[in-house]
Amino acid sequence: MTNPPEFQVTSGGAVALQPVAVQRKSPSRLFWDRFRQDKAALIGGVVIGLLIFIAIFGGPIASNISGHPQNATYDNMTDEFGVPKGPNSEFWFGADSAGRDLFVRTMYGARTSLFVGIVASGLALFIGTVVGLIAGFFGGFLDTMLSRSADVLLALPQILLAVGVVAACSTTKEGCLGGLIQPGLTVVIAVITLFSWSYIARIVRGYTLSLREKEFVESARAAGAGTGRILSTEILPNLIGPLIVYATLLIPTNILFEAALSYLGLGVPPDQASWGAILNDASGYYDVAWWLMLFPGAFLILTTLAFNLLGDGLRDAFDVRSER
Amino acid sequence: MRRSLRLALPLAAVLAVVMVAAGCGSKSSSSNSSSNSNSNSSSNSAASASKSYDNGSAAKGGVYRVGWEQSFGFTNNFDPTGEYLGNAWGIYVNLLLRPLIGYKHQPGAAGNQLIGDLAQSVPQPTDNGLTYTYKLRTGVKFAPPVNRAVTSKDVAWAMNRLANPKDGGQYSFYYTVIKGWDDVANGKAKTISGISTPDNQTIVFHLTKPTGDFNLRMSMPATAPIPQEVGSCFEGKPGDYGRNVISSGPYMIQGSAGTFSSCSALKPFSGFDGANGNHLIVVRNPNYDQKTDPYRKNYPNQFEYRVNSNADDIYAKVQAGQLEDEQSSPQPKTIRQYVTDPNLKDRLLPNVGDRTWYLTMNLTQPPFDDIHVRKAMNYIINKEALRKAWGGPVLGSIATHIAPPVMYNNGLSEYDPYSTPNESGDVAKASDQIKQSKYDPGKTGKCTMSQCKSVLMVADTRALDNRMVPVIQANAAKIGITFKVRSINGAYTTIQTTNKNIPFSERPGWGKDYADPYTFFGELFDSRALIPSGNTNYSLVGITPQINTQKKLGVTGNLNNIPSVNSDIDKCIVKTGQPRINCWEGVDKKLMTQVVPWVPYLWSNNVTIVGPKVTHWNYDQFSDGTAYSQVSVKQ
Repeated sequence: MTNPPEFQVTSGGAVALQPVAVQRKSPSRLFWDRFRQDKAALIGGVVIGLLIFIAIFGGPIASNISGHPQNATYDNMTDEFGVPKGPNSEFWFGADSAGRDLFVRTMYGARTSLFVGIVASGLALFIGTVVGLIAGFFGGFLDTMLSRSADVLLALPQILLAVGVVAACSTTKEGCLGGLIQPGLTVVIAVITLFSWSYIARIVRGYTLSLREKEFVESARAAGAGTGRILSTEILPNLIGPLIVYATLLIPTNILFEAALSYLGLGVPPDQASWGAILNDASGYYDVAWWLMLFPGAFLILTTLAFNLLGDGLRDAFDVRSER
Repeated sequence: MRRSLRLALPLAAVLAVVMVAAGCGSKSSSSNSSSNSNSNSSSNSAASASKSYDNGSAAKGGVYRVGWEQSFGFTNNFDPTGEYLGNAWGIYVNLLLRPLIGYKHQPGAAGNQLIGDLAQSVPQPTDNGLTYTYKLRTGVKFAPPVNRAVTSKDVAWAMNRLANPKDGGQYSFYYTVIKGWDDVANGKAKTISGISTPDNQTIVFHLTKPTGDFNLRMSMPATAPIPQEVGSCFEGKPGDYGRNVISSGPYMIQGSAGTFSSCSALKPFSGFDGANGNHLIVVRNPNYDQKTDPYRKNYPNQFEYRVNSNADDIYAKVQAGQLEDEQSSPQPKTIRQYVTDPNLKDRLLPNVGDRTWYLTMNLTQPPFDDIHVRKAMNYIINKEALRKAWGGPVLGSIATHIAPPVMYNNGLSEYDPYSTPNESGDVAKASDQIKQSKYDPGKTGKCTMSQCKSVLMVADTRALDNRMVPVIQANAAKIGITFKVRSINGAYTTIQTTNKNIPFSERPGWGKDYADPYTFFGELFDSRALIPSGNTNYSLVGITPQINTQKKLGVTGNLNNIPSVNSDIDKCIVKTGQPRINCWEGVDKKLMTQVVPWVPYLWSNNVTIVGPKVTHWNYDQFSDGTAYSQVSVKQ
């Protein structure tokens, strides 16, 4: 057995400590070293990269390969009763109930799902961060008002209310709030955002309450920094890590939220592909057209899983206290 | 953080389970074989579909159970004065109510033929078509708790209730031809001066103008007798009478019992738990005398209508013999199962529904303010594909004009002004029309102007709508028209509101109220009937700037030179017999060639699937549904 090189045993048996060079690691290097050990998270990241590629280019590429535009209907892909036909060499995923190419629709569906998931999560993140920062930093009445508002939102039956709001905003061609929120994708994003920001706000408030008492904040304040400067240069940078983690976990939740709304027939219009809408379509055919549920369902599961694995990996990598 | 995982992963897992279940799903196996026989089965022409069902001998007894999808959907809580739901009418006229005029409860033309129901016979008008005198049958009695003979005064009272706007009459416009009607409607009189009851068995109607279909109008459920002592308990309470409908027919709502004493003592009958409830049960009326009624057979002892939110479950129960009948819409897969399974196919019963389904185009909104665009839409739409979206030929025949041929005694059955090969659309003919429109200045054959891009289409959110919309979009794109689709749950409300100015909708369908084409043209195309909300003239045929202002319709768009058929309707309405039918045919042709408000695509069949315990089933052409008075079930 040999000793580690930094321990040298002298002839008298004493141990002499030799100075060794300590390699300094930046926070990002530390993060990466920890993150790359999480193979599942890495795979999740790669899958998400692929899904983003599919979301941007997948639909047009699929249309090009198959020669089937997204909304083209094919009489020969439904039988005489209008029941869709299954996969074949030309229609790899089979057809949907309107006789459209399910492969092309599934690829375009990735765009809708990721767009809704990312945009709604981004908006929720922005609103939640602003609200959380204000509530946590200023405290008092503002904190009470904002925190209780978030609590109220968290206590509401979200799907039920979302169904109500989406339905209400879709009953006129003008939409809601004087046309600001249009039926279709925008109302879905608005509703998902409405019910998502409160999670972020609570988390950000908690962090801010802790951060505002730290020495570096006191120091900045003593140096004459104003509130805006403290928030933007002292507190907000310390929230970036947790916010990235929460974002990656919020995105799959919101993708499923969109799928649920579309499944209930309240999501995107029928000409716009969405995994949830395809699954809705499948509900009437699940026993005679398995492909309608299999392919969009598989993509939905894959996406959700990938984001969750990535989020878990990010959380562990950012959190130095966690054990691997 | 964990919250997200707890939410997301289980949802994903649920989807995975559903997915696996989908893979494991299997088609239903066939049920009992039977020695069924069809009386008058139609092999390939859905237009002439007429199918009844016999599976043994009809006998008295048993319970006839019906699964009702989603909700009852009654428009006036089953109160006959205002109830406008066809399925409710089927229950009324077969089981509960006896208007003066009735039907034989049969399919086809025979089912639209008038007979005396409460009246002894169908009267001929006198006084140059201005007076109708009905003689009532004797021996017709109200069910408990009224328990007395029906008299002409009960009919007059029902008509008064119908005339009073506070009592919720939804089709009282059919009766404004009765003298003094408007006075009651306007609150100037308490009784209709044009109705007299010289004795208990006679009622006389005096009209302001000859009305060729007046007898037909007197076959509608709202005109059936209502006992004043009970009806007066519900004055000014539209809908409330629905839970206390006093039967004059062979059955009554379960719980009708005892003797009527006062309004306060009258409790809602237990057999019906309200329009938002889940059951309606009717049992035999002990006061009914079969001798007064030559056409109702009344085999089952009881009828049960129960709401079930799951259509698949309803059809599974029908197939398994746990239900006899359904008030639902079979999905294409169900149609396929019944058509292709020799053990089941005799229990699939399509019958002509006297109903047209159509795409409506708003004449005031671009690009449909140009008749050539509207004609192009008629040429380009693949009607066969739309029928397939419904479930194929079993669901009906391709519509080629406004009212189904059965409304003209099969007249206009060959009339197809926008014929295309296999009714699948014709790009060349459509492009030719587009070239003539103002929206194709370059004569390219495609609508090139901005007005043709992102045209608002209001669709509903049913699975059927999701199958139809892509077909319409793909077809219209061939002539340069693209749609922005708004999917609205309950799209009718939106398209019935005139100030929303909806250019196009795929949702509408219209069925007859009674067997006369007027029930199509009067409500759908008469601009005098335009109203701001609840409007059914979606295309705004005949609208003028004056009408728009007077009726506060709020229409913005091109209101100049919109064609009208008001005068054509006025000419037809006073005629009778074949001249009347010929006249309506002319209106239909004018609408299809000079107005072009619609793309009619389907004359739908009413498709019923019955259970193995049903021994006899027949179709009621008047109510477009099961002839409950003719069915029988094994005990």
